[in-house]
Amino acid sequence: MADPYKPRAPFAPWDRRQLPGLFDVEETARRVGNYKWAEMKLFEALGGWVATVPELDVKMRLGTHCYHHAWHAELWHKRLPELREMNPDRLTQPANDAMVQFVAALTEPEAPELTIEKLVGVYRVFIPHFISAYTFHMNNTSEITDAPTIRTLKLALQDEFEDWRDGEMMLQSLIETPEEVDRAAAHQAKLEKLILAAGGIAGPGSIGGN
Amino acid sequence: MRKFFPVDSLARDSRFNQITMKQSQADPRSALIATEEKRPKTNRLQPSRADASDAARSLMHGIFVGEIQALEGAGRTCHDFETGTEAPFALKLDMARQAWDEARHVEISVKLSEWMGTEIGQYAENTVLFEAACSTDPVLRLAGVNRALEGLAIDVFTTMKEFGDIAGDPFLEFCEDWMLADEVTHVKMGSDWLRRITENDPERRKKALEFQSVVDKIFSFGGTRSDSQESPIGLARRFRELAGFSDDEVEDIADVSLRALEERKAFARQAQAEAVEQFSAS
Repeated sequence: MADPYKPRAPFAPWDRRQLPGLFDVEETARRVGNYKWAEMKLFEALGGWVATVPELDVKMRLGTHCYHHAWHAELWHKRLPELREMNPDRLTQPANDAMVQFVAALTEPEAPELTIEKLVGVYRVFIPHFISAYTFHMNNTSEITDAPTIRTLKLALQDEFEDWRDGEMMLQSLIETPEEVDRAAAHQAKLEKLILAAGGIAGPGSIGGN
Repeated sequence: MRKFFPVDSLARDSRFNQITMKQSQADPRSALIATEEKRPKTNRLQPSRADASDAARSLMHGIFVGEIQALEGAGRTCHDFETGTEAPFALKLDMARQAWDEARHVEISVKLSEWMGTEIGQYAENTVLFEAACSTDPVLRLAGVNRALEGLAIDVFTTMKEFGDIAGDPFLEFCEDWMLADEVTHVKMGSDWLRRITENDPERRKKALEFQSVVDKIFSFGGTRSDSQESPIGLARRFRELAGFSDDEVEDIADVSLRALEERKAFARQAQAEAVEQFSAS
């Protein structure tokens, strides 16, 4: 065995983590508050839709995914006080009014014939935007000072990727005609325009650029 | 999407047939409708019963559709109430967790139904379970669904677990044991939230407990669940204690269930008499 008293580097040669990051504590808390708000809106919508979809397999997946996003909201809720926000509700806010309009349009479909629209909103628009915002955050925050946020982002991203795949496969199995392709595309375009106006889950700069 | 979803709008595919509680109780295949002379000494679901296979399949299908409605109810509670002003954030998180659990229970019960040789839609769906999840007060929902309905689920799963054990079906016993663990958690969730939210509001607590009592009576399935051997499903006292029911509460449910059994027997006699009268007239 090697001499236990021999000095070793504090960071092993394979540990390439860097100290600098794009976000200070205040900006991190703002983004986390936006994430929590968005995850809450998503789990509430998924839960509400369970009773409205006739397809049994979709009904069960929505119930399962509902919990995933509730859990993400809980993780963000717990992170806020660690970011000096002792009243988590204060920062549990939409990024802007356009984001509120996006969620209103996302949750509008209710009729049992509109499963395609419900799934398109979640799995082709909302969840891809979660994936991009979370990935940008994970890759740009300080790997050392903000390690707890990175851990939550990784846990959430694991669910987001798996849920996206589930949702996309359900959609592909439901879309059977060229007209339904058009329906899905039209609804996706409508929602994409709204979230574009919002700038993403955390507003302009959700994935950098601003 | 609107708040508060009516029971008659529950979305189902073409295999499902929905019926009312009254139609369900008048079903001539029901064990409790047998004539006095033909009635067996016990109706408890046991492998020794001549109709055990069909009764177990029917009960499993009932569990399956009940789990769908429980999933829908938990999901609606996530959606129907504003966080903070109408329902605490943590309560909604619990309901989301319950939605996942119920989704798994649907998966389990549909696989068990297949294992037992049943097809989806082979038996009718009684939507009375979701009706308890339509209250506009989240506390009443918790009392009606988590304490009354999920309490019934504890009794049903205990009976099915015992059935699996006696019948030598480890697959059935294994699955029921897991679902039973979830149900005890759900009932405890309901008990804890009921106490917490109504801590300083005795009137609201009283109203919630009264609602629970009404739902308990309905969910006694007209005597399908009670301490009496005439009921196919027994009252699982030990698991109910684990789930936060006091001794007095368990005794109250036992009384309500026995009364429901007597009412059911009277109803069955009347339904049979009416059927005979209609048949004679035609």
